Amino acid sequence: MTCRTHPPKQTLLRSIAVLALSAMGVGASLADTRSVETAYGPVTVNGQPERVVTLYEGALDTTLAVDANPVGAVITRGGSDVADYIKSRAGDIAIVGAPAETNIEAVISVRPDLILAAPRTNEQQYQLLSRIAPVIVSDVPMFQSDSWERETRLFAKALGREEAAEQVIAQVESRIAEVAALVEARIPEAQRDATLVRWMPQGPLVMAEGLFSASILQAVGFRIDDNDLVKEGRPHSEPLSLENLSSMDQSWVFLATLNADGDKALEAARQSPAFARLDAVEHDRVITVSGQLWTSATGPLAVLAILDDIEAAVTAIQP
Amino acid sequence: MPDKRNALVNTALLGLLVLATIISLATGTVQVSLFDTLRALAGNADPITDFVINELRLSRVIAGLLSGAALAMAGCLMQTLARNRLATPGIIGIDNAATAFAVASVVGVGLSLAPSAMALAGAAAATAIAFGLAGANGTRGYRFIVAGIGIGAIAGAVTQVMLSRVAIDAANAAYPWTVGSLNARSGQSVLVLGMGLAAGYLVLMSLSRALNTLQFTDAVAIALGTRLKATRIIGLGLSVMLTGLAVSVCGPVGLIALLAPELARALCRPGKVPLTAAALAGASFMLIADLLGRTLFAPLEIPVGIITAIVGSPYLLWILLRPSPRSLT
Amino acid sequence: MLNALSPTSVVASRAFFPPLLAAGFLLLLVVLASLLYGAGPVSASDAIAALMANGTEEAWFVVTELRLPRTIIALVTGLALGLAGALLQSMTRNPLAEPGLLGVSAGSGFAVALAILLGATTATLTTLVAQLGALAGCALVIAATRVQGLGNDPVRLVLAGATLTGLLLALTSMLMLIDQRAADEIRFWITGSVAGKPLSILWATLPSITLALVLMATVARPLAAMALGEKAAVGLGHHPGRIRFLITLTVALLVGSATALAGPLIFVGLVVPFIARAFSGPDIRKTLWLCVPVGPAVVLGADVVSRLIAAPAEMPLGVVTALIGAPVLLAIVRAGRMPSL
Repeated sequence: MTCRTHPPKQTLLRSIAVLALSAMGVGASLADTRSVETAYGPVTVNGQPERVVTLYEGALDTTLAVDANPVGAVITRGGSDVADYIKSRAGDIAIVGAPAETNIEAVISVRPDLILAAPRTNEQQYQLLSRIAPVIVSDVPMFQSDSWERETRLFAKALGREEAAEQVIAQVESRIAEVAALVEARIPEAQRDATLVRWMPQGPLVMAEGLFSASILQAVGFRIDDNDLVKEGRPHSEPLSLENLSSMDQSWVFLATLNADGDKALEAARQSPAFARLDAVEHDRVITVSGQLWTSATGPLAVLAILDDIEAAVTAIQP
Repeated sequence: MPDKRNALVNTALLGLLVLATIISLATGTVQVSLFDTLRALAGNADPITDFVINELRLSRVIAGLLSGAALAMAGCLMQTLARNRLATPGIIGIDNAATAFAVASVVGVGLSLAPSAMALAGAAAATAIAFGLAGANGTRGYRFIVAGIGIGAIAGAVTQVMLSRVAIDAANAAYPWTVGSLNARSGQSVLVLGMGLAAGYLVLMSLSRALNTLQFTDAVAIALGTRLKATRIIGLGLSVMLTGLAVSVCGPVGLIALLAPELARALCRPGKVPLTAAALAGASFMLIADLLGRTLFAPLEIPVGIITAIVGSPYLLWILLRPSPRSLT
Repeated sequence: MLNALSPTSVVASRAFFPPLLAAGFLLLLVVLASLLYGAGPVSASDAIAALMANGTEEAWFVVTELRLPRTIIALVTGLALGLAGALLQSMTRNPLAEPGLLGVSAGSGFAVALAILLGATTATLTTLVAQLGALAGCALVIAATRVQGLGNDPVRLVLAGATLTGLLLALTSMLMLIDQRAADEIRFWITGSVAGKPLSILWATLPSITLALVLMATVARPLAAMALGEKAAVGLGHHPGRIRFLITLTVALLVGSATALAGPLIFVGLVVPFIARAFSGPDIRKTLWLCVPVGPAVVLGADVVSRLIAAPAEMPLGVVTALIGAPVLLAIVRAGRMPSL
């Protein structure tokens, strides 16, 4: 074969191809390594982590919502496993501790490549966990109406699945609009004030108006006002005196229960004559909801589950 | 010969302690073989094992060791001073007061000293108040104990009020302090405890003769040349310090102060205050209790204070209900 | 039988009636305060108007359905605890013997916590369980007094009791760890409170309390005789062993009922007899009579305080009794007045 130099056109094409490929390669690796803003400063994460451990219910929720299969999680507050609403989706996930007490060895034994920790994780814990894998501690302020959305975006960025997260958020927002329309249609303006409580025999615990589920209620049109009963940073008030039920005497009462058995909780509450006098009780507007979901969970899947509860409650009322 | 018995007992207890230490180090959610444990201690293992053993587990084991020893010694001292096998520092409210102060620091009420310093301050405050109210009889009388119980009750109520009125995260962070757990320890507290324990031990060893004479009546003790008041004050002071420092590391694990000296007294030759044996026994108990707490319901951990209470209660009831020939006085 | 209790049958003492009357008057004042004051918007004047059948419907509701039941429950609780404390102290001859300090309340509390954990909700079951727990606690305490050297030294008994209490509290903590769902319920119950309790639980405890009062009337005179010493008592024809058994039973019934009503309350059984003894002297019968108005006054007074200091919430009653009782204890110690039994 005679030696031929390549025609100039082919050389040019080849060079362009090589340049383009390298540019893409560089671009890709740049996208793969990202810096995430956390409460402890920027944290570098590479690629799409495959073995994610979540030490926070909101993180577990987000991770499952963007299909990123977590390998370890903490139990829900007050339960013995992950929250009911998310259990089937979580499947056979390893339990690595309770919200307040992470079992660090259990975390090590699942060999994570990313750890999504709870807000307000303390420094000592953070240092220990950082030795195992990059740790993301959310710096999003809690108890605000957009907290869950910002957290979802933060965790999704760490997981490298921001597009999926945006899709989920869009889906949730359209669902919110759906339920809001339902509320607008079926409930007159004057009757949209609501309160979220947990009932104890000595008196009710009024949930903060900035609480995750309360903010969802507000997003679909209910009005929640905790009358300044809840101190800054607390999720709920002290048990109110039974003489002060006027603070919770709204048209709608969402009664959060400790366990799945809502009827028992309602029965127990009905024992109290003060409870029976509430407006909402007389008009049958007391809705029992799961405490795990409504007072402990957070995240896009939780929003959807709560919206389902709200929809069921609103459709059930007699117009 | 009688002294050989004590030496034998101490050696046996030391052996138990070493065994408990190694097993504690080798046990946990991450499986590490015994061999690897020893290699890690020697600095010869892979990074993960090294991290687990030397960072996670070792610091916890050391904390447990030291606090167990300190509590046991404090208990032994208290029982000798009060001539009552049921006396513990906890009875005069030191545990509760130290806890209340530590909780106050954790949840951000009051001074912003570290929890360990606050715990010590609490213990000292409780003792000072009890002493101040006790009057002429000092530690021997009614009033000291009664005052202590009152202080303990107030401290307990104050702790409850504090926990119920602060933000839920702070309350959760403070929870381990209230039941006794090795999870919430800080490296600094452990260091201070270690130093305090070493210093206390040295002082007590030099006092041992005087302490031995306390078992007799005051008159006999004086006749034997013991300076009663000085001995009592030093003994009480050391008991308070050891308890306060221990509580600042592990919270109120009161039963160790009761059980370990009992075991020591049962094994050793009567007539001598078995401080070393009590310390070794206390350290072992703490480690064993923590081990049980970590393994029984894994991966959930049961705080060590609860384990000691549950394991110790049958034994305590046995003490209460059966007259023992070894009762002090 | 009632003669044994009648104040006129004891050595005549003019100094006895005035304190009794004063205590009764004080009790009435406290009851009035309890009906008039609360944590809510119904003020004293609203309440008075309601009582005169002149007020709003809400005021009437608050006074009759909220404040009245808790007043009655607090009164009964105070009565039971005060009497139990006086009996226990007389029997053990120890002014520091208090059901709360000796582990009887903690035993009751632990038993009820266990019951809650296992799912019990009915009032009768809770009452029964509370009483069994109190009985077990009592038995342990009494057994402890028989341990060599323990019975003679009041301090030792208290030490034993304090240790037992600490144990039971730790066991209760353990229960709360096992089942987090029950934990919240147990935690609220165990701090002690009379708020929100329906009168039905009172009916459940009434049989036990009545039985206890009957027993008490039977043993009051023999108990007074035992204060002279066991041999003297035997000489007078009493059976000390049987008396002790009956008193233990009475104390258990009383403490069990009180705990079933209001949860474990400490220091009440210490403060009430102490105040009573200050006026009645060492005669147990007089002391018991004085405990009748003083006990309820103390507990109800503490309840009124609990409503006022943390509005719109309420401070738990158990915390208030501890905060009131402990300084009283310390003041007693400070003043150096440890009345002998």
